[in-house]
Amino acid sequence: MKQLTRLALAGAVAAFGTGAVAQELFTPNLSYRTGPFAATGIPLMNGQKDYMDMLNARDGGIGGIPINFEECETGYSTEKGVECYERTKGAAIVTQPWSTGITLQVLPKTNVDQIPILAPGYGFSPMSDGKTFQWAFNPPASYWDGASMLLQAISDGDLSNLEGKKIAHLHLDHPYGKEPLPLFEAMAEKHGFELLPIPVGLSEMQNQSAQWLQIRRERPDFVIMWGWGAMNAGAITEAVKTRYPMDQFVGVWWSGHSDDLQLVGEDGAGYRAISWSLPNPDAPVMAAIREHVVDTGKTLASAEELDEVFYGRGVVISAILAEGIRVAQEMHGTAEISAPQLRDGLANLDFTQARIDELGLTGMMAPFSTSCSDHTGHSGGWMIEWDGAKFVQASDLLTADRAAIDPLEAEKAAEYAAANAPWPVNEDCDS
Amino acid sequence: MEFLRAVFIDPFADMIAAPDFLLQVLWEGLVSGVLYALIALGFVLIFRSSRIFNFAQGIMVVFAALTLVGLHQMGLPAWFAFAGTLLVMFLLAVVIERVVLRPLVGQPDIMLFMATIGITLFLVGGGEIIFGGENKQMISDELGIPDASLEFNPFDGFLLIEARDITVVVGAALMVAALLVFLNRSKMGRAIRALGDDPQAALSVGISLTTIWVLVWFMAGIIALMTGIAWGSRAGVSFALEIIALKALPVLMLGGLESISGAIVGGIAIGVLEKLFEIYWGQPLMGGGTEGWFAYVLALTVLLFRPQGLFGEKIIERV
Repeated sequence: MKQLTRLALAGAVAAFGTGAVAQELFTPNLSYRTGPFAATGIPLMNGQKDYMDMLNARDGGIGGIPINFEECETGYSTEKGVECYERTKGAAIVTQPWSTGITLQVLPKTNVDQIPILAPGYGFSPMSDGKTFQWAFNPPASYWDGASMLLQAISDGDLSNLEGKKIAHLHLDHPYGKEPLPLFEAMAEKHGFELLPIPVGLSEMQNQSAQWLQIRRERPDFVIMWGWGAMNAGAITEAVKTRYPMDQFVGVWWSGHSDDLQLVGEDGAGYRAISWSLPNPDAPVMAAIREHVVDTGKTLASAEELDEVFYGRGVVISAILAEGIRVAQEMHGTAEISAPQLRDGLANLDFTQARIDELGLTGMMAPFSTSCSDHTGHSGGWMIEWDGAKFVQASDLLTADRAAIDPLEAEKAAEYAAANAPWPVNEDCDS
Repeated sequence: MEFLRAVFIDPFADMIAAPDFLLQVLWEGLVSGVLYALIALGFVLIFRSSRIFNFAQGIMVVFAALTLVGLHQMGLPAWFAFAGTLLVMFLLAVVIERVVLRPLVGQPDIMLFMATIGITLFLVGGGEIIFGGENKQMISDELGIPDASLEFNPFDGFLLIEARDITVVVGAALMVAALLVFLNRSKMGRAIRALGDDPQAALSVGISLTTIWVLVWFMAGIIALMTGIAWGSRAGVSFALEIIALKALPVLMLGGLESISGAIVGGIAIGVLEKLFEIYWGQPLMGGGTEGWFAYVLALTVLLFRPQGLFGEKIIERV
């Protein structure tokens, strides 16, 4: 009898527990606040977390359902990332892998598990092709978009100016660093510039003297950096040491972190990076975060961090996810959405300028929209420039040369699907 | 034929054509080598006295550098922060001896090695909780490390040398000299060597195992602090510094685990040779990125002919 009572009690607790757990939007973040990449991960994760905490505090979540923004620490390790994915996928409505290596590993799994991947500004660039990659989203810009915009920036908008020039691609020797290579190679062939890939291994991130000796010997006209974590600071300090002209040194959006440039201060003035987000301390959303998260002692960020590029980008990333959830709730008429329903939301994002203003994100991001076939939106981005003390906006909005990227994207997406056959393709997806 | 030319002729032709660049490569190799040697020294010191391969040496570098920067950020003047860091490293040595090593006396070496992995995990977690994972700026200026860049013009070319790197090389040389004098001339130094040579005999003549272990771990802590300052002043202080400790492994394989001279010669040899190979063979022929494996291949090649390393002792055990 006692045993039966215990069983009944356990059943009741389990049932109650299940019910309680269901009353939340579980959006795990495969974060990295530790290890060699923590310096760049921390402000991003803080921005993401604070935005979600603000929504929970101000609005009670999204559509009245609180958000469970649990973090699973990966240390930017692909193996740990896959473990985190497996551990969190049960109740998750989305997965945020936070590394191109992890994204590539979980990409095939999400077809089976039917969980959308949200990889804003990172991952495999052809994920933009929503017909082939039904469960993957990389808004608002892909790495190939970034590569295209950087080439435009250094050529003053006319890629024919690059003919006969030598461009070094200084990159982390990791799937992330190699990601833009196919586009750079295609552009080099088309526009007649010489591409010089220079890999930086993990153990050389803080001692890049060999890479910068190569740059001194080869004298490239431009250096494009695809760095991350400690590699950025290592490259900037070596560039200063080698006296490489800073106005010929540019980086992708993950190589535009204030802390990395603080190490060299004035000597780094003129360094530029492409960025699809801008910090705006005066934006209404930042005021809301200060009121509901910072002033209540819930943030992990320092006061100075709130005004920096990476923190602001973390806020934008969570805003994209939150908007996807809201759109999904509206489309399906329920606040408690499932993972497949969130996929519909992410495929129907419409960040018009009016909507950006309404969300309080004025001046922090550019308009974009996604669709069934376009999972990126291609918002474009701005060049930001280090003025010796902080990053400032240094260009109008640039947009990627999609006419050049689209054929390559279709080719690589088809190659991926063929290499991983049978790969499900959404034939109904026309728009 | 073209390949043979690229391997055997072109690199040397490049060296002759641009001797100023060759000097720059050699200087950068020397600085890297000194930094590798500094990390390897910490391993050697502990192994000599206790036969423990200290897996935690890399994280000790990070922990010491973070403590220095952290204490300064808390308002302590730079040299007080330096003294405070030495105190922290001493306390760490005492705690490691009392809590980790003493209970494991007499256990197989692998147990002690595993214990140092535990120390690593503890310091990673503790360091991140106390200091955070953000990249921090080393307090080089406050410690008086010069920041100037010196330009020379040998062979009608140019050679850039950072005053900071000269400080590192000179500082490392002085530290090694002091270490050798201490180990060879002082009573405690001889006790450390005696314990490494024959623990049973050393204990039987009254050498205190606990005192020596605290001392060598403290000395390894001092070396870790100096290494952290040297590396940190180049590209900031972050947990990425821990990865650099991997560079000490081929140095130890090459120089031998017990030899301070081996660590110095091995470190400098690997630093210079890997840089020369990367610049003149790796980048032109293999697209670069050879520094990740070159040192290991070099060390393994040496081990084929001298299994004890260049300066290691040949151990013969009677069975």
